[in-house]
Amino acid sequence: MNAPVFKRPETVSVRSRLQDGGFVTVTATRRPRGGRADVKCSAPGAPQLAARMAQVARLARHTEARYDSRDQVVIGMDRVPGAQERDWELAVVLADRAVRGLIVLPADAVANGWSEDWQRGRIEGHAVTDLPPAALRGGPGNLHHLGALHGQPDAAVSVSSARAWFPLHSGGINDSLCWVEVSVYPLAPGEAAGEDAIAAPGLDGVRQQAVRQALLGARDFDGAASARWRTTVRFGQDGLHGNSYELALVLADRLARGREFVPRGRIIASGASSAWHAGLVEAVEGLGPKCALIEREAQAGDRVLLPRAWEAQLPPGLLDALRSKGASLACVERIGII
Amino acid sequence: MMLDLFKRMARAPVFDAAGLGTRLVARPAPAGCLLPPGAVGVAVDAGGHTRRIAAGGRLGLTEAESGWCFHPGPYQCELVPFAAAPEIGLRLHFAIDSPDPRMTQQRFDLFLASEAAGDLAPEALAARIEAALQRELAQGNLELPPCTTLDEWNAFRAGFNQLLYTRFGVTVDDCVPVDLAGTRDYARELAARAHAAAAPVAVSAPLVAAAPPVPAPDVADPARADARALRRLFLELPCVMCRVRQAALPQGQDLFRQQQALIQRLDLVCLAASSMPALALAAPGQPLDPDNQLRRARHSLRAAEALDEAWALLARFERAEDEGLELLFDEAERIVANLEAELAARKRVLAEEDA
Repeated sequence: MNAPVFKRPETVSVRSRLQDGGFVTVTATRRPRGGRADVKCSAPGAPQLAARMAQVARLARHTEARYDSRDQVVIGMDRVPGAQERDWELAVVLADRAVRGLIVLPADAVANGWSEDWQRGRIEGHAVTDLPPAALRGGPGNLHHLGALHGQPDAAVSVSSARAWFPLHSGGINDSLCWVEVSVYPLAPGEAAGEDAIAAPGLDGVRQQAVRQALLGARDFDGAASARWRTTVRFGQDGLHGNSYELALVLADRLARGREFVPRGRIIASGASSAWHAGLVEAVEGLGPKCALIEREAQAGDRVLLPRAWEAQLPPGLLDALRSKGASLACVERIGII
Repeated sequence: MMLDLFKRMARAPVFDAAGLGTRLVARPAPAGCLLPPGAVGVAVDAGGHTRRIAAGGRLGLTEAESGWCFHPGPYQCELVPFAAAPEIGLRLHFAIDSPDPRMTQQRFDLFLASEAAGDLAPEALAARIEAALQRELAQGNLELPPCTTLDEWNAFRAGFNQLLYTRFGVTVDDCVPVDLAGTRDYARELAARAHAAAAPVAVSAPLVAAAPPVPAPDVADPARADARALRRLFLELPCVMCRVRQAALPQGQDLFRQQQALIQRLDLVCLAASSMPALALAAPGQPLDPDNQLRRARHSLRAAEALDEAWALLARFERAEDEGLELLFDEAERIVANLEAELAARKRVLAEEDA
């Protein structure tokens, strides 16, 4: 209830790749409003472009829950993209959000994406193809919706897809948070839920089977009468080992099927189970490094879920560290309501 | 003389109380009618002052007053706390409690006076409750995270109870999480969306998204939406101001000054709301074009949204500890700044140019 006050950055820069291979840097700065407009944009020698920038930023703000009229955000570009280029739009939107503390971006973020539908938070695509690997790409299959930055499903499309993150322990320096995405689409009436109703393209047969088992077990736990969904599972990284992704997978599935409370930030979960049909969550290996990674990576609004068996061995200070970042932690014995 | 009296008795209007307490929460009642057993009368005057008339009595009204009759309940409804998760919900049992003698005006009476128009069905009240809940959750003022623990649930319940009491004047009897899969089929909803997306849709004006989610934004009728929003502001802002004065007991000089400044600014906001120019006029005798009327109506709606946030904030003040006060005052400043900005924009004749 009494969330701590978070420090917001004064200035945020986001780069966007242009058709000619160069980068445009979008810089957003926050300052007191002082009776001026809420968004002020500038591009060197291109007032029309500046007007479009302001329009994009304002439209995207319609998807925000909290409005603060005390700030003015000044957004500028260091060079002018070609007249037909629109991939900079995503960079403008992200910079506008990050400078007001709504999202946290890495220092050298690259974002490409355009949309006709910013007021619904949709991102329809990106035009430039040769992007750096870590770049945020707009469009279906990538970042299709602004809420997807936190793994939340778009509440207005027919395919519901949600992400959850899990710590991937691979020897210290390479530890990272990896996402798993579950997309569900209703089966046509009369269509049988066959073997291929849950697909995980790119995974080997054994792991596909494991994913299927976990999902079917967890759906069994819901007690739903019949299978209703065609499901696709994707992972952010190849070469997984172990089964500690299972809790994140199950939670992403519940989120996608509209059966889980939605966190404001991401779900970060680690845990497995031999009895998903009973909703039980069991311990996995690597408590120490995973907790350290989570403590490092957590952001405001994130929800961290760990197995109950870990509760006694959690590093001291983890709870406070997460709380001071605005994230919350729970050790759960089973999934579902309380 | 006697005859006169009988005539008057005979003319006592009939009040149709059918469904009150089940299908209806409240209904406007004519002056002089007999209140049905179990129902409570409320008299509202033009300035928004209300008084209660106990059950079983006669609804005696003065010239300037209009009458309401409501049934205290209990009522039951199902809420969806997150629009993106329609299969998990809360089942809420609530009632409108007997009046709190410490308050000069019961919050539910004010709600009737300023927000109800015609019959108030439990579904309409539930929709408003759901909107208030969703907003608080989206802003992070209430927390209902995945795999909620018992402690988190208790904290949520306490905050939610207070929110409903402060915002609507209703008391929560019970609230439990429920699986709504039996009544709402998300798969079918998604299939319907796919169907709708396949059909050609009319191009919607981008700014339509600016309207608040629920209660249904009838921006289709800007004059009506604007009038209702302004009426709410006119009636409720003085009460909010009064509650700000009472609610917070700041420790220390700085917070006290902050509170004083807030109350002064709220006072000016009240003044702005009650001296708002007519929606359809740019200047006396000069009509305003429809686009700008729509813009003005949207600013009124957004000001009313800020008012909702203010009530929710008052609920948080009620439960605040001393160390949390600073944050709440910052939030109060944000809301007052939003009110000022929206009302100033509502006053303006033309849209603001960038500065």
